[in-house]
Amino acid sequence: MSTPARVARAEHSEGVWHAAWRRFRSDRVGLFCAVVVTAFLLLIIVAALGGVARNWQKEVGVANAPPTLLGPRPAEATGVIEVPQGPNVDLSAIDPLAPRYKEWDERAAKFKTEETVKAETLPMGADRLGRDVLSKAVKGTQISVFVGVMAALVATGLGTLLGAFAGFFGGKIGDLLEWLYNVFEAIPGILLIFAFAAVFGRGISTVVLILGLTGWTGLYRQVRAEFIKHRNREYVRSAEAIGASVWSRMFSHILPNVSHVILVRMSLLVVGFIKAEVILSYLGLGVGIEDVSWGTMLAEAQSELILGHWWQLVAATTFMAVFVTAFSLMADALRDALDPKLRGLE
Amino acid sequence: MLLSIQDLRVAFRMGRVDGVLQRTEAVKGVSFEVAENRTVALVGESGSGKSVTAMSILNLLPDNAERSGKILWQGKDLLHTPMAELQKLRGREIACVFQDPMTSLNPVFTVGDQLAEPLIKHLGLSNKAALERAEALLVEVGMPEPKRRLAAYPHELSGGQQQRVMIAMALACEPKLLIADEPTTALDVTIQRQILELIAEIQRKHRMSVLFISHDLGVVGEIADEVLVMRHGVIREQGPVAGIFATPKDTYTQALLACRPSLDHPPARLMVIDDHIAGKARRAPAAAKDANAPVVLEVKSLAKSFWLKQGLFGKREFKAVQGVNFKLRKGHTLGVVGESGSGKTTMGLTLLRLHEPTHGEVIFDGQDLLKISAAERQVMRRRIQIVFQNPYASLNPRLTIGQTLIEPMAIHKIGASTTEREQRARALLQKVGLDDSAFGKYPHEFSGGQRQRVAIARALTLDPEVLVLDEAVSALDVSVQAQVLNLLRDLQDELGLSYVFISHDLAVVRFISDEVLVMKDGVVVEQAGTEQILAAPREEYTQRLLAAIPRGYRAAA
Amino acid sequence: MAAYLIRRLWQMVPTLFGVVLLVFFLFKYFGGDPAEILGGLNATPEQIAAIRQQLGLDQSVWVQLGIYFKSILSFDWGKSWATNEAVGHLFATRLPATLTVMLPILILDVLIALPIAMWVAYRRGSLADRTIMVIATVALSISFLVYIIVGQYLFGFQLGWFPVQGWSDSVWTNLATYVPLPVLLAVMVGLAPQTRLYRTFFLDEMGQDYVRTARAKGLTENSVMFKHVLRNAMIPILTNIGLALPGVFVGSFLIEVFFSIPGLGREVLLAVNRSDYPVIQAVTVYLAAITMIINLLVDVMFKVVDPRVVLK
Repeated sequence: MSTPARVARAEHSEGVWHAAWRRFRSDRVGLFCAVVVTAFLLLIIVAALGGVARNWQKEVGVANAPPTLLGPRPAEATGVIEVPQGPNVDLSAIDPLAPRYKEWDERAAKFKTEETVKAETLPMGADRLGRDVLSKAVKGTQISVFVGVMAALVATGLGTLLGAFAGFFGGKIGDLLEWLYNVFEAIPGILLIFAFAAVFGRGISTVVLILGLTGWTGLYRQVRAEFIKHRNREYVRSAEAIGASVWSRMFSHILPNVSHVILVRMSLLVVGFIKAEVILSYLGLGVGIEDVSWGTMLAEAQSELILGHWWQLVAATTFMAVFVTAFSLMADALRDALDPKLRGLE
Repeated sequence: MLLSIQDLRVAFRMGRVDGVLQRTEAVKGVSFEVAENRTVALVGESGSGKSVTAMSILNLLPDNAERSGKILWQGKDLLHTPMAELQKLRGREIACVFQDPMTSLNPVFTVGDQLAEPLIKHLGLSNKAALERAEALLVEVGMPEPKRRLAAYPHELSGGQQQRVMIAMALACEPKLLIADEPTTALDVTIQRQILELIAEIQRKHRMSVLFISHDLGVVGEIADEVLVMRHGVIREQGPVAGIFATPKDTYTQALLACRPSLDHPPARLMVIDDHIAGKARRAPAAAKDANAPVVLEVKSLAKSFWLKQGLFGKREFKAVQGVNFKLRKGHTLGVVGESGSGKTTMGLTLLRLHEPTHGEVIFDGQDLLKISAAERQVMRRRIQIVFQNPYASLNPRLTIGQTLIEPMAIHKIGASTTEREQRARALLQKVGLDDSAFGKYPHEFSGGQRQRVAIARALTLDPEVLVLDEAVSALDVSVQAQVLNLLRDLQDELGLSYVFISHDLAVVRFISDEVLVMKDGVVVEQAGTEQILAAPREEYTQRLLAAIPRGYRAAA
Repeated sequence: MAAYLIRRLWQMVPTLFGVVLLVFFLFKYFGGDPAEILGGLNATPEQIAAIRQQLGLDQSVWVQLGIYFKSILSFDWGKSWATNEAVGHLFATRLPATLTVMLPILILDVLIALPIAMWVAYRRGSLADRTIMVIATVALSISFLVYIIVGQYLFGFQLGWFPVQGWSDSVWTNLATYVPLPVLLAVMVGLAPQTRLYRTFFLDEMGQDYVRTARAKGLTENSVMFKHVLRNAMIPILTNIGLALPGVFVGSFLIEVFFSIPGLGREVLLAVNRSDYPVIQAVTVYLAAITMIINLLVDVMFKVVDPRVVLK
């Protein structure tokens, strides 16, 4: 190897994220889960753009049609009702509407009526109204994951900002933020969500707002603790000694050293918020009536189950279980990859 | 022969890379013996394998350790002893004292409980009898108010007292061998002296053997009968202590002895291990400093207090620093010596206004640093800088070395462009003796000594006139310490820097300082030129400090 | 100690004040108009105006806030808009039902998760450890709803082991008949995260220096784990239980809804659906107070558990 090349290669060595990525790559489970999660995200983007599951609301199937694998339901044995014998009685003399029938028939002929042939079976079956469960599951994935991620972003942003200020400054600002934190913490979480839900109502953006505004406290606590720990560290003191500004010390020096903690915490929040959204939607407090999410599917599934129609339950549960498991395992692998005491921090 | 170790090898499993199991060898074939009633010392720098060797005797290593060879305890091979039998040996025939007593004691059990545990387990004493014996043990290790201490929790005791408890715990069943792993390293110098004397006395009284692990040759020279010098997992030299100190045969041992800054004959430059091994000779003593150089820094009545909450609404004043006065001349070094809690670090931080002082004046070039505005302070930052103790914590782990060096220049707008700053940074790297390739690397890729050099380079980027060095070499190995001290000396000669050198180590202070300030509990106890303090200390505390320093082996006259 | 208690109680005041403010302004500015809600869909404008005057809504914000504070301090909890039941009475009757379900869940969760976590931490990295962790992760990813739906269907409907829903007036009948199924389901779901959490606590303690000292004294591994490690791990575990205690009062509203248990959680949910503001507001404020008092008690108890704690 020639010397100049060797010197050039040694110039830029890998940082923390690079090293973490390398470690992450060697964790096969984590990598597989990351692939699964990415696949889901792609599906979500396509669904959001209208590529798939756009017409999930259309009733394309027979009510409660079973999944394709099971085959169509045997036609219900209709009881034998005595068909009346004899010709139809002509009622046009006493029927007050009789003169208008012809007019209405002509008018009706002008409208195009679509006679959709209702499918007997659908890939994952149909719900009570005959809507395709597979499309609903895909659309539900989009909505539920979107809400979870957005709410996590809101909560993370809020918690990080407030935690940084509280931890770095202490004193009066810290006291004020601690007071705010205590107020939010004093109210049990679900109760707070209910209170917010009671006033804000339903809807996707509302749910994101509610979850974000009630879920920031955990992250705040952790970020504050980290900033308190780091603000007296010697590298921050050194930064102060060379004259770095407060903003620079907080966000150019301390924050990069804390970002891995925040990232891991945020991934936990995503999972937590997805599950919270599902429950809220189930209770009718989450997404609006015109939207579908895993929660609304489960709400319908409950009554369907008693009748023996299990496919909507299975579809929603499977999609949710696969995504959340993959995401959780990926987050675990991420945390392990970032963990080896980040060389030099401790 | 009590303990006989033959060709011991210890490797650690480090996980798999590409399916291949990785191993790191920490001990590569070590053999030695410990006879009855002897003190054997294992000496080495960090990474030499001395602790791993000692811990492998009782198999106190982590799960991923693999041992091979022979460890014979009174003829029985401990490597192949089942765990149940080993547990009977632990604490009873072989006992341990560890380095950090605060974490080595269980925080939720009382001292009495923890002392009684081995007594109950190995000697079958009843609770009451065990507690009585525990009290007797505390008396033996010189613990004041032993009865009260039985009911105390570890965090309520001082460092020295905690270590006494650890020793008492080790002595409980009258073991034949005591393994002491750096037992005094975490303690202040005067406390260290007490603990060393205690261990020596116990060894004599009980005719116990001691395996003493340390990095400090001075300590080892005073208490050991035999010395084993280790480096990189192998024994470089072993033999009776007199021979090792008087006529060391191995080059590493010789270098180790030569690198220590001695209290008696300070050289102009400390020998560095590699220099010594390469055969370079000692240089002549340094020229005397100009006594009439201009005063760069004058400090008058500096004081700093912290306010602690007390009671319901009250506050208590804790005086960390009281009434410090000194004058620092250009090109000179003021050494500040004290043990933990003396306030020396607080004073150093106050000079830079990293702590706001409660009282006093710091006059730098005619201006009182404590009264200037924020904008002027920013300018002042350039002229007085600081290097901290912990090389692992003073550099931001997320910034490359290059970024760390450029940042101060960018803040103070030194250099017209990024390229110019980069050039300056690279030049500084060379000046502190680091390779140019360090520019793009991250701190974790460097050793402690190298990081300290980077910290010094960063301080120099602003062209300061005064440098405050807060225990800057205390966390480094002896030979690395020597390198950094030499560097500091060279920089002072070349750039005319003035230093405030804070340390607990009088020998190091002696090497680099012209004037010495001795602090205790926030107050300056004695203040004089270096020669005078060492030759004729006036205050009792200074004398005690000097006496506590381990001198190494002194042949009986 | 007395000084500490007084200071803590003193510090609770601004927090409680903040909670009241939050609740008041949240409902005032974001909630619907109470007069309209009470009046119903067919109310005339005059009726609504009359109601508004009755409720004092035509006065300034600060007066209303003052009235609100007064009512809280005098423990006048108001009446439910939907059922006209005194909220205080509501609280008193619903709380026992919630506790009858929640306390067994809490106790069982801890008692079962603890030994599993200890065993798993001890055998860290082994196949058993990793398998259990993966199972726990998968179990966690399935919504609680699914467990209840399937559990209710399976055990109640199909197998008939437990009644699907129901409640009685006697505590013992409840504990014997109606409580087992919901408790079983809740514990099943809560076990996974609890075990994971406790495992982390145990692992943290096992890496400490005092464990090495204990081994060096010749103690058996059982002694080390059960005496030394467990005792230290109890500190974060008890903290965790302490933090979970306030949640016990609200209860798991899902369980209460599914199993028609007349508890506080279900009551709040009904109130939310009916826009029954007095109930929601009162429950929020008083539960916040209860939470703060429980936290204080937990902190004091802490001193008993962890000798290093200095209450100042």
